[in-house]
Amino acid sequence: MQIHQVLVSAAPGDAVTDAAFELRRLLRRLGPSDLYARYIHPELEDEVEELDHYGERASTTLEDDVLVFHASIGEPAVFAFLRDRPERLVVDYHNISPAAPFYPYDPAFAGLLEAGRREVAALASRATLALADSAYNAAELAAMGYADVRVAPLIVDVEPLTAAPELDGALPESLDGPVMLFVGQLLPHKRPDFLIQAFHVLSTYLLPEAHLVLVGAHRLPRYTQALRFLLSELNLRRVVLTGPVTDDELAAWFRRADLFCTASEHEGFCVPLLEAMAFGVPIVARHFAAVPETLGDAGLLLPPDAGATVTAEAMGRLVDDRRLHAGLAERGRARLAEFDPDAARATVLSHLMSVLGS
Amino acid sequence: MAERPQDDDAPDVDALIDQLRLTVEQRRSEGLYPAGLEDDLEAHFRRIVSHRVVPDTSALDASLQRLRSLPGLSPSRIPAESGVPGGAALHRAVAKVVSRQAQGILEQVEELASALRSVADELARALRQPNTHVHPDLVGQVDALQERMAALERQPLDSPAAVAELGRRVERLEVAEALRQFRAPFSAADFEAEFRGDAAALKERYRDLAARFEGCAPVLDIGCGRGELLELLAELGVEASGVELDPELAADAAGRGLAVGAGDGLAHLASLADGSLGGIAMIQVVEHLTPQQVVNLVGIALDKVRPGGRVIIETVNPQSLYVFARAFYVDPTHDRPVHPAYLAFLFRQAGFAGVEIDWRSPPPQEETLQLVGQPHLDANIERLNQLLFAPQDYALIATR
Repeated sequence: MQIHQVLVSAAPGDAVTDAAFELRRLLRRLGPSDLYARYIHPELEDEVEELDHYGERASTTLEDDVLVFHASIGEPAVFAFLRDRPERLVVDYHNISPAAPFYPYDPAFAGLLEAGRREVAALASRATLALADSAYNAAELAAMGYADVRVAPLIVDVEPLTAAPELDGALPESLDGPVMLFVGQLLPHKRPDFLIQAFHVLSTYLLPEAHLVLVGAHRLPRYTQALRFLLSELNLRRVVLTGPVTDDELAAWFRRADLFCTASEHEGFCVPLLEAMAFGVPIVARHFAAVPETLGDAGLLLPPDAGATVTAEAMGRLVDDRRLHAGLAERGRARLAEFDPDAARATVLSHLMSVLGS
Repeated sequence: MAERPQDDDAPDVDALIDQLRLTVEQRRSEGLYPAGLEDDLEAHFRRIVSHRVVPDTSALDASLQRLRSLPGLSPSRIPAESGVPGGAALHRAVAKVVSRQAQGILEQVEELASALRSVADELARALRQPNTHVHPDLVGQVDALQERMAALERQPLDSPAAVAELGRRVERLEVAEALRQFRAPFSAADFEAEFRGDAAALKERYRDLAARFEGCAPVLDIGCGRGELLELLAELGVEASGVELDPELAADAAGRGLAVGAGDGLAHLASLADGSLGGIAMIQVVEHLTPQQVVNLVGIALDKVRPGGRVIIETVNPQSLYVFARAFYVDPTHDRPVHPAYLAFLFRQAGFAGVEIDWRSPPPQEETLQLVGQPHLDANIERLNQLLFAPQDYALIATR
């Protein structure tokens, strides 16, 4: 039996690609296991195979083999491939961003997201097993008609990041005053625009010396541009958009941060929450999608109706109240222990094995 | 994942969030957070998203990427094979001959291609820098638009509707003011003749006051009327002049050789040099003034009268109820009587050295309540007489 994984696109720093690499390390203990993708970033050309070349692989046990599909966006060619192959299919669902927030910025991409949901639903009857990063994702799969859905938390190993060397000059900016840190791609459903509004309130009325640092790739030029216009029109000079960063730089930002904040309204898991916990950085987040599940009690989880002012007050309070700061940081470390990567590896393997046989 | 039990020392996040909401409400009610702050911020961002058009350069980026990734020019990528018969050896020989030429051409083409690639890169860079491709005409047009916009913003005051509305309001104000003003259908001279008695009697009444100005030249008589006081001062040899609001009265006085001008006495006083007067007289004038004018008068008088000089203000005495029953309301231009205690207070406060009150014009004895010869009753009658029939006028005499 061979187990291979299929991705729509493989890119360095992408959470789904990282999860696939992590799973490949596990699966290779069992036998031959490769990664196939429709779109491959040039940096990963040696690590990931072209999906078109999948058929060239030699196998004598096709019906016994397994394809693990990481579902995170739509792609007709990949869907057709998965539908028509004879191998057994496992769908690993990382959730698909909602399409609506993308329409004003990139209608074509929004269309792909919508197609992605339809395709995942259409694979329900074909799948032997479905894995979900969170109970939130699992509920969506069940609603789509998947019969056997198991929750297998994302395998997140924060150790390498926390062990990153502390280098002088790792931060591109020298900043005074408290730093509010967001880590994530600048995409509309993650609502960095909301964070900027909250920061406007914070720096105008409560903590003028504060900084907001948004760390992450800018995937949607029109949206990034809109954020820049907002920053310039609100005259928020203490907001930094770093763009993509190296692990060393990311670690440096976490070490410098006074708190981690996210206004995201859609997450399938939200890895940066665990990273913030690992660095003892307390979290302000909003009660949406899988965020409460990953965060647990380890942060200030604001209700969905809490607006920019309440969010700003929460940030200000966390900076001022050292006892609260320490208390939440402590809870974060405790919460992180529940996401032990070895336990997560064992969980995913046991789910796979229980269905697929050894 | 199992929930950990809550430790007692841990922060209660729900209570904290409730507290944060209360804080926001409080700051909102205190005005720290402006009303509609959140809605405005959100609407602001929505406006940016819906109005800004950001050029999509992704196609250009892709083309540039492809251009950069094209392999360089090399003779090895030019096939040496040919369908022409002649054998491989011949082809190789020909290829060898041609390849030197080809190499030279390729080098020049490569040079050109490299130059074109940098031009393309430069153009793409310039495209992202608005200031490198702004057309002066366009800037001019934007400036012109901004000027027009600024002009429009100033417009509302000039708009016909606004002007018409302002016009209507001014008309209403004029009507209201006209109603408020008193325009007498009679002459001041007739009024004085009717109610103040003849000039000779009046002159007698002020002889003693005129004497108080001896050594206080020059004296200004504000509201001098027919000029009785000025005549008395002239008789005493005290240099004096007067100002009278009513032109008819002023002309009459001037006609009798007195130095009287028509006009507003207070304005005239204010126009004089500081310390240039020895005395100021105001006979039956302050009851025509507003409280603010009275206050102003005292201040100006202090400036204009030299040290040792004198201000005499004679007016009706509001402590006498008889005055209100008889004289005060006969004159429709009387604004309000000024209480002697208040007027004395004003002068002392202003810094006048001596302030005295001279009670004047007691009501005729026959009009007062008569004593009846019974001690208890008479004591009460005396008290009533004091209240009802106190002197009708008083003169405040202030020394600078």
